Amino acid sequence: MDFWFSYITLAEIYVLLGLSTNLLVGIVGIFSVSQAAVFGVGAYIVAYFLMAAEPMSFLPALGIAAVGCILLNVLVTLPSLRVSGDYFVVTSFGIQLLATAVFTNWTAGTGGANGLPGIPPPDLFHHPLESTGQLTLLCTAGAVLGCLAFFLIMRAPFGRLLRAIREDELAVAAAGKNVLRAKVSAAALAGAFAGVAGGLYATFLSFIDPSSFDLDASILLLTMVVVGGARTLAGSIIGPFLLLALPQILTLLDIPTTIAAAMRQLLYGMLLILFMMFRPQGLAGERL
Amino acid sequence: MLWLQLLVNGLETGCALGVVAISFSLVYATTKIFHVAHAGIYTMGGYLAWWLVTHGAPSAVALLLAVAACTVGGAMIQSQIYARLERRRATHLVILIASLGTLAVMQNIIAAVFTPNILQFPIPWAANVMALGGEVRLTWAQMLTIAVSLAAYAGVMWFAHYTILGKRIRAVASNPFLAQITRLQPQSVYVIVVAIASAIVALPGVLVPLDLGLQPYGGITPLLTATIAMIAGGVGSITGAFALSIVIAELQNLSLLVMPGEWSIGITFFIFVIFMLFRPTGLFAAR
Amino acid sequence: MLRKVAITLAVLATVWIGGDAPRAMAADPIQFGAIIPLTGAAAVVGTQEMRGIQFALDAVNAKGGVRGHKIEVQFEDNQAKSDVAVLSFNKLVDLQHVQMIFTGYSGPTLAMAPLATRKKILMVNAGAQSDKLSTASPYLVNTLPSTGDEVKVMSKYLVEQGKKKAVVLFENDAAGIGGRDDFLDLFVKAGGTILAQEPTQFGQTDYRPALLKLAAAKPDVMYVVITAGMVQLAQQLKQMNPDFTTVGSTFMSDPAAIADPASTGLIHTQAQINAPPELAAAFKAKYGDDMDFFARQYYNAAQIIFTTLDKVLAENKPVTGENLHDTLFAIKTFQGLLPMTFNSNTATVPIGINMMKDGKDVTLTEVTAQ
Repeated sequence: MDFWFSYITLAEIYVLLGLSTNLLVGIVGIFSVSQAAVFGVGAYIVAYFLMAAEPMSFLPALGIAAVGCILLNVLVTLPSLRVSGDYFVVTSFGIQLLATAVFTNWTAGTGGANGLPGIPPPDLFHHPLESTGQLTLLCTAGAVLGCLAFFLIMRAPFGRLLRAIREDELAVAAAGKNVLRAKVSAAALAGAFAGVAGGLYATFLSFIDPSSFDLDASILLLTMVVVGGARTLAGSIIGPFLLLALPQILTLLDIPTTIAAAMRQLLYGMLLILFMMFRPQGLAGERL
Repeated sequence: MLWLQLLVNGLETGCALGVVAISFSLVYATTKIFHVAHAGIYTMGGYLAWWLVTHGAPSAVALLLAVAACTVGGAMIQSQIYARLERRRATHLVILIASLGTLAVMQNIIAAVFTPNILQFPIPWAANVMALGGEVRLTWAQMLTIAVSLAAYAGVMWFAHYTILGKRIRAVASNPFLAQITRLQPQSVYVIVVAIASAIVALPGVLVPLDLGLQPYGGITPLLTATIAMIAGGVGSITGAFALSIVIAELQNLSLLVMPGEWSIGITFFIFVIFMLFRPTGLFAAR
Repeated sequence: MLRKVAITLAVLATVWIGGDAPRAMAADPIQFGAIIPLTGAAAVVGTQEMRGIQFALDAVNAKGGVRGHKIEVQFEDNQAKSDVAVLSFNKLVDLQHVQMIFTGYSGPTLAMAPLATRKKILMVNAGAQSDKLSTASPYLVNTLPSTGDEVKVMSKYLVEQGKKKAVVLFENDAAGIGGRDDFLDLFVKAGGTILAQEPTQFGQTDYRPALLKLAAAKPDVMYVVITAGMVQLAQQLKQMNPDFTTVGSTFMSDPAAIADPASTGLIHTQAQINAPPELAAAFKAKYGDDMDFFARQYYNAAQIIFTTLDKVLAENKPVTGENLHDTLFAIKTFQGLLPMTFNSNTATVPIGINMMKDGKDVTLTEVTAQ
């Protein structure tokens, strides 16, 4: 059963990340390949507090991680608001690479390239959740809460404002709405989702290192949103579940092991191209 | 002297980077597309040349064929992917993601065919060393890179300013709408531009791995650094892109004298962020 | 909405079937697992590890398997990432019920170690050398010396040779940093001093700036811990024509580097593992590449597993991780490509000091680690 639990748990964590990426890329329209960096920051913060001399309980640590990632995401998206979208692409790449450099080199804070082993399991009000089944339940709760929050927000006036900005930013500004504040708020929200996902991830794996939060991870997140479907709740759920299952599905095909792995990455690339060319709205989304 | 050698090494890596920056700048300034797949063309050029050389082709022939193949490859990406997407009025985000996907496909085909091992060109003379003035030591590969890069820069400058095609490209770049209605045919210009840019980037694509070895996933870092150089130098300015590439390469090298090596990439992006906040148009912005 | 539900169900169903398919095959073959990096920058090493295992597999299956049972290995790509490794581990153990898994790369192995302990799955590492691996799990067995073992031998040798001032060039990842930390510690304990150190990124083959900076410190010797890009390093060193000697560990013994004329004069510790010429030739004929260190290591590790499996089957015990583990330690001494003894979770293996000279790797002396 553990495999199923692992798969579902990981998928749910990625659903939260999918919501985060969808908010930023799909709804606000900022091209971001640095979501994995924010995810990583969330993971490292929770790990740090859970393993500190006076270990903190899981939920407060998660709260701190969420706040930290909110601040980070706001800081990171601010440049995009000063410069046009294309310039932000480079900034986003740069932030991701810079984050990877910090994760790898700041050994005192992040354990450096060796990572942080032995992260304790999460606890709910000082009851530790030891078994994989309990962890899955926790992540399911997290994912459900996240989806609910997303759904409610998109229904609320704020959500409509965001959609309007996507359609015609100038008109919204002319109507007297504060476009900047709306975008920053969306980025903040995206940061919160990513931070929570990071905390869940750290406690689920009990070992984190910089390789889980690199550029490839950010690209995978982008692929999930593109394939699942941009800007919708359903897309944020389908994308992660499908893409995490893809490697397992591919093992059904009889590809020689020497090239199987490269074939998989190639498939991700092809999916991106094909979806963009023929179905930009993904499986369950709206046009990007 | 330590710093002199660092300076000259920086000049060499900067020149190679400069060619990448110029070629990327050509595409971006004209088509406004952030063509990340350019890194894939860069990588492809190197591997093709390697394959040809290991199968007996003379080095010069291998280089020329690699340039030709990259030209075709780039043109195809523009005409089959970008042009189609533009016809469907896709947003920049969509095209960018498609470009990213193309890069992933190219890199992984190379990895599947050639394995991910770091490959070495079987060209012994490339590693031969010449001591200049007794102080500075350069390999032939390094010297060739400097020479070819400078020639490429001169060539592109001449092309942009003194040929009709070059002027047509600059016209389209500065005002695509006007170009459309004055029958300058922007779409075919785009294909030509990407073709030329791909041909140019094949040069460092072959010469840099000649010195440092071939890796399937090694194209994105030079591309990003080159992009920073392009933006900091001013989009549309060929000299700006080339000059800033050398500046960045020198900064990365010389920074070693004062700080640990792991932060040198951080410096590059830090500089970029500063530019973005205070001078987004770059140093030598074309009007 | 219905369509979306249908898609999701279809996906989950395929995963279920995909996971179960191998089990539906004949019960006779024995399945093991291998979780190694097959894509990404680390695939350079992972591919060779896979070939080593496959080569041994093909040989033993050609002879009818172990006691009539064919052996199969399910290869999983961990992309050198811990989370993918954990997922693969759970998949192999839960869905395919493998009881032994080959692993490589320190990070992912450390991530899987607690799982191996909990589920009593034997893990065999034949490529990673982080010191933490020796004690990561009772079920993790290492068939090669840790970085610390090799550094100790090299430090002693250097001080004996009168080279007491060193600088360090290391790869900025788990393997490199581990090696650097060990050297900083053990070289000083042996009586030397460290003048400077410089990191380099994995896959970053332009070593010139780092080399220049280290050379400026005027050392007697430079200790190198990198796992890829050895050829370029050798060439750039030759270009610089330095006054100091360059030394390293087993990581240095890349066949391309040894063959390159620029590498003459490089000295390194070498976990002694050689393949008989016929074997090396057969490997090259099959894969087109030399049988490098990692391929030999995993071929050897596979041999150890076959021997252990043979005994388990001979004693009519079920093939479980626990039995494989206990039997391995009961046998204790193995003769694969070289004699190897397991007094602890890390094998005791002779370590040699080699020098590269004109395309060959020549052993100067040999030390057996305690």
